[in-house]
Amino acid sequence: MEDMEIKEENESVIDEKPVDINKIGSLKSLGPFIAAHENSQNTVYLSDVPAICKEQPCMLGVDEAGRGPVLGPMVYGISYCPLESKSVLVELGCADSKQLTEEKRDIIFNDLNTLEYANSCIGWAVEIISPNVISSSMYRRTKCSLNEISMDSAMGLIQHAIDAGVNIAEVYVDTVGPPEKYQEKLLKRFPNFKITVAKKADSTYPIVSAASICAKVTRDHALKVWQFPEGLLIKDNAFGSGYPGDPVTKRFLTEHIDLVFGFPRLVRFSWSTAENALADKAFEMEFDEPDSEKPKYAGTKLTKFFKGTTKTGEVKREECRFFKQCHLDNVTDF
Amino acid sequence: MSITLDFDVKQLANKRQLELHYLPAKINGDGECANVDKYFNNYTREASDYGTGVLTNALRGYPLLGKREAVPKGYKGVVLQETDPHQAQRQLRLTGTFEEFTYWNYDKVPSKGDGYQQAMTMLQVAEALAAPIGEAELEEELKRQQQAKKENL
Repeated sequence: MEDMEIKEENESVIDEKPVDINKIGSLKSLGPFIAAHENSQNTVYLSDVPAICKEQPCMLGVDEAGRGPVLGPMVYGISYCPLESKSVLVELGCADSKQLTEEKRDIIFNDLNTLEYANSCIGWAVEIISPNVISSSMYRRTKCSLNEISMDSAMGLIQHAIDAGVNIAEVYVDTVGPPEKYQEKLLKRFPNFKITVAKKADSTYPIVSAASICAKVTRDHALKVWQFPEGLLIKDNAFGSGYPGDPVTKRFLTEHIDLVFGFPRLVRFSWSTAENALADKAFEMEFDEPDSEKPKYAGTKLTKFFKGTTKTGEVKREECRFFKQCHLDNVTDF
Repeated sequence: MSITLDFDVKQLANKRQLELHYLPAKINGDGECANVDKYFNNYTREASDYGTGVLTNALRGYPLLGKREAVPKGYKGVVLQETDPHQAQRQLRLTGTFEEFTYWNYDKVPSKGDGYQQAMTMLQVAEALAAPIGEAELEEELKRQQQAKKENL
């Protein structure tokens, strides 16, 4: 089934007019778009902005997909439409995306992009946040939490929409954490919008459902078309849901450990599931973290001058400060 | 106990060049590291935001910033290997040589302040210590010291 689809796509590339790989015009072009972009970096995609969204005041929804899994990217999505076009969202079937099956979400995503009554008034954008970037951010010397990564992505996407000319009036954001702080931060950055941050906004506001569907469908496809620069070939990319409890994911994690490098970069190294698996099965690795060393503030002891010799009577010599600072030391063993 | 470097100096010129990474981590393991290209080199990128020649990558999720580094002028990098370090007569064999390597820091742009760069001061110290000193230079130095003493009084 999967193979057939790919073949069909290839054929259409050959005999139709050249397909723009940088454009997502339907569900079919989503996979090829994702596959054409490096999966170790973040990728942002913005749909065309419908003309009406530049004129009329719009509402904009923000949601994310793939926050919890130990595998694959986290995807942030936004969607927007004029305030008065809310009925279009309902007609499309934008409701709580977790209540929708994968198939239904795919259909809605395709309709959203291909049907004239929808794509003439709804626009959307996603950011695919690479697992490689997630790990690296969370393991920085000054740790950047997943919440910060999330907020930065959400605000980045809203900014993209503003820059593209979308006339935003209201913003609705789904959150898992405490809404107050998030709302405050968003208002500070975008003081002119009416901003609502709420738990389960996904099921309350259709515009958030639409954003959620874009994010979820993108995440699902990102996993399907994932190509391992590590050269791994996994049949049908079957590595499970990515949730630590999933036995298929668990098996993937235990079976694909490189003793030195750990996992392929599909895996979020900063997840405790991944950390624990490596602690058990891979070579132990210690990073230089001189910054975390505690400075010693105790001054020189007064008795220092009476302690020139050690117990055996020989004089103990301090290392020369110059060499110490240069990280140089005497070595007798080689 | 003795250590023998068991190779012909001629080998230095025609031994294969090695691709090396100086990592900011201690790996407690021994053995061949076969997947460097696929798991690591594949992901090295130029990061011009940090300056020219600065590279990025990550090791087990830890962000790395690196730079291509040449072996100091007049020196040659060699990799030696020994099978059994517990023998009284130790033998080290030549695995390969290198003129360049990639130096990596953990989330810090490589700079003169890095431990590695600092330790390279040893080369200058060694040169200064080993440089021959003539009679004239010695007298010059003595004069200078006497002069300094006078000034301090």
